[in-house]
Amino acid sequence: MGAAALTLDGLGVDFSGFKAVSNVSTVIEEGELRVLLGANGAGKTTLMDLVSGRTRATEGRVFLFEKDITNREEFVIARSGLGRKFQIPSVFKDLSVRRNLLVASCPSRGVFSNLRFGFPAASRNRVEEVLELIGLADDAQETAANLSHGQTQWLELGLLIVQNPKVLLLDEPTAGMTAAETQKTARIINALRGRHTLVVVEHDMAFVREIAERITVLHLGQIIAEGDIAHIENHPQVKEAYLGSGGIH
Amino acid sequence: MTSRRAIEIAGYALFIAAILLAPLVLGEFWINRIAKYLVFGMLGVAICLSWGYAGILNLGQGLFFGIGAYMMAMSLKLASTTSQQAASDTPIPDFMFWNAEPGAEQELCCITKTSFLWIPFQNQWFGLVMAVLVPTLIATGLGAIVFRKRISGVFVSVIMLALVLLVRLLIINNQPLTNGFNGLTDLGSFTVGAVVFDNFSKATYYAVALALALSLIGARLLVETRAGMVLQAVRDDANRARYLGFDVPHYQTFFFAVSAAIAGVAGLLYVNVASFASPTFMDLSFSITMVVWAAVGGRQSLLGACIGAILINVMEAGMSETQALVESWRAIIGIVFIAVVLFLPRGLAGLAGDLIDAATRPRSDAAAKLQVTSNRGGA
Amino acid sequence: MIDTLFTGLSLGSILLIVALGLAITYGAMGVINMAHGDLVMVGAYTTVMSGIWLHLGFFAAIPVAFVVTAMIGLAIERLIVRHLYGRLLDTLLATWGVAILLQQAVRLEFGASFFGRHIEGLGTGLQKVSVPEWMQGTFTIAGADINIYRTMIIVVALLFTALTWVLMYRTPVGMQLRAIMRNPKMAAACGIDVDRMNALAFAYGSGLAGVAGVLMSGFKTVFPDMGTPLVVDGFLVVVVGGVGSLFGTLAASGLLGQINGVVAAVSNDILARAVIFGVVIAIIVFKPSGLFSYKGR
Repeated sequence: MGAAALTLDGLGVDFSGFKAVSNVSTVIEEGELRVLLGANGAGKTTLMDLVSGRTRATEGRVFLFEKDITNREEFVIARSGLGRKFQIPSVFKDLSVRRNLLVASCPSRGVFSNLRFGFPAASRNRVEEVLELIGLADDAQETAANLSHGQTQWLELGLLIVQNPKVLLLDEPTAGMTAAETQKTARIINALRGRHTLVVVEHDMAFVREIAERITVLHLGQIIAEGDIAHIENHPQVKEAYLGSGGIH
Repeated sequence: MTSRRAIEIAGYALFIAAILLAPLVLGEFWINRIAKYLVFGMLGVAICLSWGYAGILNLGQGLFFGIGAYMMAMSLKLASTTSQQAASDTPIPDFMFWNAEPGAEQELCCITKTSFLWIPFQNQWFGLVMAVLVPTLIATGLGAIVFRKRISGVFVSVIMLALVLLVRLLIINNQPLTNGFNGLTDLGSFTVGAVVFDNFSKATYYAVALALALSLIGARLLVETRAGMVLQAVRDDANRARYLGFDVPHYQTFFFAVSAAIAGVAGLLYVNVASFASPTFMDLSFSITMVVWAAVGGRQSLLGACIGAILINVMEAGMSETQALVESWRAIIGIVFIAVVLFLPRGLAGLAGDLIDAATRPRSDAAAKLQVTSNRGGA
Repeated sequence: MIDTLFTGLSLGSILLIVALGLAITYGAMGVINMAHGDLVMVGAYTTVMSGIWLHLGFFAAIPVAFVVTAMIGLAIERLIVRHLYGRLLDTLLATWGVAILLQQAVRLEFGASFFGRHIEGLGTGLQKVSVPEWMQGTFTIAGADINIYRTMIIVVALLFTALTWVLMYRTPVGMQLRAIMRNPKMAAACGIDVDRMNALAFAYGSGLAGVAGVLMSGFKTVFPDMGTPLVVDGFLVVVVGGVGSLFGTLAASGLLGQINGVVAAVSNDILARAVIFGVVIAIIVFKPSGLFSYKGR
């Protein structure tokens, strides 16, 4: 049992009457890998938006370890140690792979502290480490726009990893990937386990099976089940709402 | 160092050498003319920094230029012989006499309701400092409000446009304070010890050339810092930058303020060269013309925007013999501008860059081909 | 009091007729057409020219100006705007280039002045349009003298707004345009010819500018530079009223017109304009989507 890395307490948002997410409460422990499951429109991405500061919550609170990050600005939450990977991979397309990572590796994020030339050795070494981890060491000079879809996803993961965040929110990290690419992604995520706390939104059941410890299932903006794979597979509500009678295969 | 970079450094060096050595071969009249063009070059640099690097298209750059100009002009007006010889203890600009409050004391503090605002400008250094400080402060304040609210690019441009027009109107409307439409003329000269920065003197030229060189080099170094790289990233994908912990409005405001400072310095220098300040500095067409210079020269190239500004003005001067030529020139610029926006978004500097790349490519072609095949094989 | 009210209405109606066309092009395509003011200028010059060369009366100039500016608008859309789809700032700049060209075309009299010739009605000087007898002078309401011509402008402005409303909300074409305003990709997926609609919208908006030009020529001197302040005013109205909202344009022009009128009555014209700019900046900062824009998600 570790500390509570991410605590959601009654979190919800009401868009002029439409409750996209309501009364979501859960505790994700340090080093845990939590999978967020749910049909399209269940509120998974909205939940991530609420946690990372993109959308203003109308109810509830979010805590990153002891710190209350509810409704803070995105960059403040990011600096507090929360990294977010988007569904549509978002990297700096005009910069090279290495430069992308270098930007992320800035020791301090303020304007005045960055009025310096070059990057400290610690940053540059970290970038090389991460390039190895995500398997893009050979393409470090390539412009990010020229990367394949899978490579872009890994680069985005790399951007987050470079900053050594305490908690990582990954929104469909294998979207659009081939089977081989999905396997590589699973390897990267498993390598991150333990050292970071991970919350992964996923659809791909095979992938979920590879990585999942605990699963939280969302339906119509609310949590309907939480537990390990066996528990979720046999949960009647989950079957009805999401899985169908075939279970996870 | 890559050959591309070497060529760039050579370009900067050549240009700076050229402007610093010009007085050796040219006479007074030409020096004064070129000094004006160099000031416009600074404006090109300012626009490029704000637009090409920070992604902020400022359609009202004339605001910062104009304020810089007026701050300096106020000091120089008080330093003029006419103002100094007014029958009073303090120097009083001539137009204040014509707008004097009936029965008011004939001193700078009281001759009109707002003349007291001129008092600190009796010190020429105050005017100089204000010329740089006020635009910078305004830009910082604006940025803090506008960028923090994530107002999109187009609206920012419209706000700048409305703002420059607003200030222009305020200046025109305040005859007793600013001499309204007529602007500030009959100015004295800035003096440092024995050096008088009269508008035809070499000292003034060197001041301008030096300022331009420093702005160019300074801006170039600035964009090569880590902050400059972050700025580039912000321009690429502001959202991603935010989520990596960067306070995007801070970065935008910083570079916007630097751009405003450069424009302010350009303004104060222009007053020294041309010997007047006028509300026309804040005409909409002038502000947009600056954008045209930067667009044609190269919005992402500081040297390109600078040279673009200078070249266009040189050619315009060459075409000013007859009215028909002047109008035709404007029409040509209009066509060139449209063509550049449509087909050459990175301007002439971008074109030059591509040509240089093409010339230096054959050597690295083989290596590039290897890279491509290795990429296809992977993933 | 009625004087001031009427002045406000009059100013508002001028803003309305200029902003109406702009609201269509901006609403439909998000295009900032900096040449719009100069299309108004073209409309004014068309009135001058059709008076001199075709001996057409004032009202007859309206359809002529509409067609002329609509054609120019179509050309702008086809040749320039179309290629800059999605690049909003570049469209703004390119259309400013067109604005310069339109002004120079008039100043250079389409090249005639280069050869030392002069086409009457063009050139760098001022032109004047003569207004029919019955539109000159004033009539009296509740003790205030109301200018007939300005009343006519208010009437025509409202008429064209009504016409535009009917086109937008009561015809299939209008429905397609509204669909494009809401969601261009979805509209295209539903089979709407977005390209053709954009061209039509741009042409119609430009035609309205021409009509505004005719009206303006009746009480303002016609000269090549007259367009620039108009495009600024037009934009401020559209931005304040809200993108894609016809009612917003109507309300905003009325509002800004009244503010202008009241402040001008209290102090002077220049300060009135300054106040307008200040108000607009404040609205953009605090409500960037404008006063009446529809709520998107």
